Amino acid sequence: MTHGIALLLAALCAAAGHIALAQQSGPFELDEIAPGNFVHYGTLEERSPANLGDQANIGFIVGSRCVAVVDTGGSLPVGEMLRQAIRVRTGLPVCYVIITHVHPDHMFGAGAFRVENPTYVGHHNLPRAMQLRGKFYVNTLKRDLGELAEGSDVILPTLLVQDEMKLDLGGRTLVLHAWPVAHTDNDLTVFDAQTGTFWASDLLFLQHTPVVDGSIIGFASVLDRLRAVPAQHFVAGHGRTDQPWLQALEPERRYLELIVDETRHALKLRQTIQHAVDTVGLSEEKNWVNFESFHRRNVTAAYTELEWEE
Amino acid sequence: MGFSWKPIILSVVAGALLAGPALGNEKAEPDPATSPYWDPIRKITFGDREIQDGKDVVRVYLSLRADDASTVPVTVKAQIDQKPDLYIKTVYLIVERNPSPTAGVFHFTPDSGRVQVETRLRFEDFSHVRAVAETSDGKLYMASRWVKAAGGCSAPNAKNAVPAHLLGKMKFKFEEEMVKYNEPALVQLMIRHPNESALAGDFDPSKVAQFVRSVVVTYAGKPVMTAEVDFSISDNPSFRFYFVPHEKGELRAEVEDTHDQLYTQTFTVSDDIKLPGG
Repeated sequence: MTHGIALLLAALCAAAGHIALAQQSGPFELDEIAPGNFVHYGTLEERSPANLGDQANIGFIVGSRCVAVVDTGGSLPVGEMLRQAIRVRTGLPVCYVIITHVHPDHMFGAGAFRVENPTYVGHHNLPRAMQLRGKFYVNTLKRDLGELAEGSDVILPTLLVQDEMKLDLGGRTLVLHAWPVAHTDNDLTVFDAQTGTFWASDLLFLQHTPVVDGSIIGFASVLDRLRAVPAQHFVAGHGRTDQPWLQALEPERRYLELIVDETRHALKLRQTIQHAVDTVGLSEEKNWVNFESFHRRNVTAAYTELEWEE
Repeated sequence: MGFSWKPIILSVVAGALLAGPALGNEKAEPDPATSPYWDPIRKITFGDREIQDGKDVVRVYLSLRADDASTVPVTVKAQIDQKPDLYIKTVYLIVERNPSPTAGVFHFTPDSGRVQVETRLRFEDFSHVRAVAETSDGKLYMASRWVKAAGGCSAPNAKNAVPAHLLGKMKFKFEEEMVKYNEPALVQLMIRHPNESALAGDFDPSKVAQFVRSVVVTYAGKPVMTAEVDFSISDNPSFRFYFVPHEKGELRAEVEDTHDQLYTQTFTVSDDIKLPGG
């Protein structure tokens, strides 16, 4: 199943100034997890010049007529490496670039595909989120990557998914689903019906601490609905597993449920937000990577959401 | 309401000029005394007035490392009692590297009982946070704290839209289940509001800021906490503060936003009524 593609430095020479980048980030690996579904697994490390923000799981799906990209990586160089990897594999044009949500590690490589003149696709709430956050994300990318961030920019989608939408790649139909507020308020998933491959993006975290940037109640509820997806193969937004679909959902469900329960309890005891942040959910620490960076802000989000419950 | 929020607007301009596009990323705490961000804010807000070291008068509490740059809990606490002859009348809360540094100007009275205000702040960047207390004899005292905002996946804006029918909905929550007359009671005022600035929206110049600009809380008709605030306060603004009930009475909050929308919430406090909490 695994097809590692090591991109030669030469392949990057086309993108002037990016020669050094490949040396920093190493070969660009791709796995064909199901026929025509190619995944590049991002690192679980935090963003740095060495990894170029290559954190999210990204990839592409090949039809008989054209290619759809599902997320583009955390910087223009990552998007460029993905584009080059597509070119190694097929000469078909990239007709769609699907941006699964607003987070920088998923969308800052979008500019690499401009030369292909694709249609950029997103959740109907994505443009608003990009308008609100784009400037901040560009600034923090520059802070973290320095000059390597150059050219990474925000591309607004022109094809918006209201609820569900089908995209025809020729001999292969993708079903896109725009979810209610969960991980963010602009989560989009992709299902390749032909192979039963589900691209969950950040509705599913494996290994990497889940991130709540929308609604923890919504996230738990959407996760519950995901159980009905007939996923023969699947891609999480971060991390990977050998377990089947339903078992793969379990750690995230357990994590979210624990935070909800313990935060409600803290509120019942009239504890402050600071107290809740310092105490809720710590028993989950051993189960996740990057817990220190994300867990406390998840509790902050849970508290500010649940304090409005009667 | 009679107050002017001119100082806030002026400090928006000063901050915007200074903050610029580059974000600082200091590993170590820069010296608050020599911060280049502070000097212009100080001049605009306080002129040439002397500002003394505040450690015996006012303190500011925040985590050194902010976990969510859009919701950073902060507590400002007086170190002196509110006595009729000498009390803290105003606290300025300033995030000096924010586009609009003055997050809030809070006014208190002897009826506040204790000067303590807890709220939640947005951070555009690592920054010193300053609390400047003005006592009723006109003196100024300052405390400061260095905070590293985490940035990353969080952003300085609303996680998701506040539905129109919830805009301006408010809640009071109390720390204790029952009130005791003549003793300070801690209450939290929560306001459903996106508290959105237009500064973060780089792509849509037509977008107009809408944020809460004033909060007036009275008990039995007398002011206990009033504040001029802005969009350095997190979405769904929350303020936790004290008031002293001397007898049964109405706690009343009047909140106004930049669209001149006025929202009101009342709750009757009595020593025989169980108070709402979490």
